[in-house]
Amino acid sequence: MAVSFFFEVLIGGLLAGVMYSLVALGFVLIYKASGVFNFAQGAMVFLAALTFVSLLERGINFWLALAIALAVMVVLGVAIERVVLRPLVNQPPITLFMATIGLTFVVEGLSQLVWGSQPHGLDLGIDDVPMQWLLDKANINISQFDLFASGIAAVLVAALALFFQYTRVGRALRAVADDHQAALAVGIPLKHIWAIVWAVAGFVALVAGLMWGSRNGVQYSLTFIALKALPVLILGGFESIPGAIIGGLIVGASEKLAEVYLGPMVGGGIESWFAYVIALLFLLVRPQGLFGEKIIDRV
Amino acid sequence: MSRDARIGETLLSVEKVSLAFGGVKALQDVSFDVREHEVRAIIGPNGAGKSSMLNVINGVYHPQQGTIRLRANGAWKAFHDMDSHEAASMGIARTFQNIALFRGMTVLDNVMTGRNLKMRSSFIEQAVWVGRARREELEHRRAVEEIIDFMEIQHIRKTPVGRLPYGLQKRVELARALAAEPRLLLLDEPMAGMNLEEKQDMCRFILDVNDHYGTTIVLIEHDMGVVMDISDRVVVLDYGRKIGDGTPDEVRGSQAVIDAYLGVAH
Amino acid sequence: MLYREAGQFKSTYAADQQIFPILQDRVGIALLLAVAFVVVPLVSNEYWLSAIFTPLLIFSLASLGLNILTGYAGLLSLGTAAFMAVGAFMAYNFVLRMPWLGILPSFVLAGVCASAVGIVFGLPSLRIKGFYLAVATLACQFFVLWAIQRVGWFTNYSPTGVITAQNVEILGYEFESPSSKYLLTLAIVVVMALLAKNLMRSETGRAFMAVRDMDVAASVIGIPIMKTKLLAFAISSFYCGVAGALFAYTYLGTVEPEAFTLDLSFRILFMIIIGGVGSILGSFLGAAFITLLPIFLNRLYGLISHALQVDISHAIVSNIELMIFGGLIIFFLIVEPHGLARLWQITKEKLRLWPFPH
Repeated sequence: MAVSFFFEVLIGGLLAGVMYSLVALGFVLIYKASGVFNFAQGAMVFLAALTFVSLLERGINFWLALAIALAVMVVLGVAIERVVLRPLVNQPPITLFMATIGLTFVVEGLSQLVWGSQPHGLDLGIDDVPMQWLLDKANINISQFDLFASGIAAVLVAALALFFQYTRVGRALRAVADDHQAALAVGIPLKHIWAIVWAVAGFVALVAGLMWGSRNGVQYSLTFIALKALPVLILGGFESIPGAIIGGLIVGASEKLAEVYLGPMVGGGIESWFAYVIALLFLLVRPQGLFGEKIIDRV
Repeated sequence: MSRDARIGETLLSVEKVSLAFGGVKALQDVSFDVREHEVRAIIGPNGAGKSSMLNVINGVYHPQQGTIRLRANGAWKAFHDMDSHEAASMGIARTFQNIALFRGMTVLDNVMTGRNLKMRSSFIEQAVWVGRARREELEHRRAVEEIIDFMEIQHIRKTPVGRLPYGLQKRVELARALAAEPRLLLLDEPMAGMNLEEKQDMCRFILDVNDHYGTTIVLIEHDMGVVMDISDRVVVLDYGRKIGDGTPDEVRGSQAVIDAYLGVAH
Repeated sequence: MLYREAGQFKSTYAADQQIFPILQDRVGIALLLAVAFVVVPLVSNEYWLSAIFTPLLIFSLASLGLNILTGYAGLLSLGTAAFMAVGAFMAYNFVLRMPWLGILPSFVLAGVCASAVGIVFGLPSLRIKGFYLAVATLACQFFVLWAIQRVGWFTNYSPTGVITAQNVEILGYEFESPSSKYLLTLAIVVVMALLAKNLMRSETGRAFMAVRDMDVAASVIGIPIMKTKLLAFAISSFYCGVAGALFAYTYLGTVEPEAFTLDLSFRILFMIIIGGVGSILGSFLGAAFITLLPIFLNRLYGLISHALQVDISHAIVSNIELMIFGGLIIFFLIVEPHGLARLWQITKEKLRLWPFPH
């Protein structure tokens, strides 16, 4: 009895973790290619979901709405690269980070200005109900929706990994991530690359937005999912796609397990900080994350 | 007093130091000594391990094998594993190949940081700015101003160092090292990237420091003319090993050294 | 012409070390203090004193605290609100359980408690740098808030989590009116700003900046990195803690843990970005800017609304405000990363030449 409950919580946690990974992926993409930690990723997720949902509600066809939302994200990405990042290109990373904090507020305000501030529900056609046969056979309660989200995430990760590894653009992106000057020196068009990266990140944000939106509703708090992605990135490293997945799984699972097993002892609500403390302890042991590269300070 | 007459007993002894980074052997079984008040140059082709040697002496890198011995207050202290903070408190100061100044601060503040080990007041005393904190700050300011005069950088004392040209930054770095009143000064390519005039100025400063303050100096330098002119003795490194050790003339004539510089396979 | 330094030579190092070496600056500051202490309470109405000037001072103090940590010592922190919360709730508990201490010592002790929390959550900074450290401070922010909400002792077991700050009474005098609270806050803030300025221009400040600019080099010249970083956290949290205590006692009156969210931490970060990172003056300018901006915007909407005979909804206004805040951050980072403080410096330099062009 207790064992199957444990598995239920564990798998539930792992699947929730996949959702975190979806958001973290967007961060990794941008960080990999431009060295910028895009704090506004959460706001982008929010905007993507909100645009999609609002279009749907105005009677627009599902696939068309998807396409339009994607177009909006791409345009936003390019605009961000041009208006915010280009002028700041030589500033230290901390300045860029703070600029993306400012960007978060701009995107949030814009989203709500255009589409309004009421929460929306989002129905993708897959319900958040237990897998019936699993429930009958092994008494384990796992949501169909969660499995679907994991499937989507898996496909996305595989596609991104292939993209980075085997296509010309992907290689160029990796070169840019490594060393801007060197990439320029071999003729890689930096600005086009960045625009592409932000567009792809926008696409990832859309997918994440759809998943999270269906699960929790599309509302203002979606922006703060981005914050949960931080512990994921710390565990997985800021530059690793597989790291984002594994980090997400670890965070999701440990959070759920802690809440269920440790929570009652201290009054509950552990989920608000547990992931961060785990990330913190982890950093103390391995400051570069699981998959990150060791930073050597040369004098 | 002539230069030779002033040179004293051994101050620093590097004994069989070996340093490796993963598979790369930066230093292999290097031993030499440095006498008090002398100017000792370390030379060698690029990649010979010269900067690593300095980093070992002042505790930035820890050698896998070997010992550094430093004479302090008449007694010898041996270190396998000195950390940079300890080295600083034992009177070792240094400058760096790529200038390690604090870019956000003025020249005056940068040189003042060199005095930090001599400051005793607590932060509370400093916040209230009375008594000991006030006196200390003014006292050390006076000492620092003398060094600023010595290094001829008075006109830029309130300028943030990030705005200064390279040559002046190097001078400020030297001033900061001097502010600590070190017994042993390690200079890592103090004249890199300078034109002839700047080099002459820097040479003058280094010799003045040695004359005026009696500081023992170990310097890494590529310009052979400079090395031959100002150093008392020279150590030659190549691929992490010592291949020469003696006066400039002795080293100049050594076949091993000539081969190393000409790139003869060995 | 007014701002010439000509003729003001310094003949001692002590004179050169003054906070305001130029006579005109000294006069200016004296005037400003006179206005702040005397004119403002006489002239302003209660609303301005209690809803604008007092919180402006309190946020200046919190910004000062964050500036010491992030601006001078280069340690990015997103936990400012948590430290303020510790200050507020601990002050409450000290006054509640040890009333013989008195208000001011309670504030000081509350600040010390905030320092302790700061040191604990600052320990990771010895191994972690940059954004990673920001995440550690996020852990602090969320954990502290959770702790205050869950552990009943902090709120004296209040069922709603709301605490009501007791009356402020010093040496028998009760600080009840908005102007008395304003003056008390002003006095505390001025004193603490002076202490901070002294600290930042002496060895401690230099050590902070050295660790910020190049910690490897700092350690090589003998600066103890660990002690320096922890001291930065301690002092910064102390300032935020006292700001939090003032927040509860001289501004809001009733406080709940939810008043100290991440949003507030961000707000204070914005204040130092706009005001000027690494500048005492900047903390004040940034706090003033962010506090006064919404008021200015509201007046503006009112005018536009009236002129165009159009009713602009509150939701639209608040969203535009968000966008303007974010936009300003980006604008300042691009145009003048050193914030308003640097703009002020540039103005002074231009004033030196005025009315001549160059």
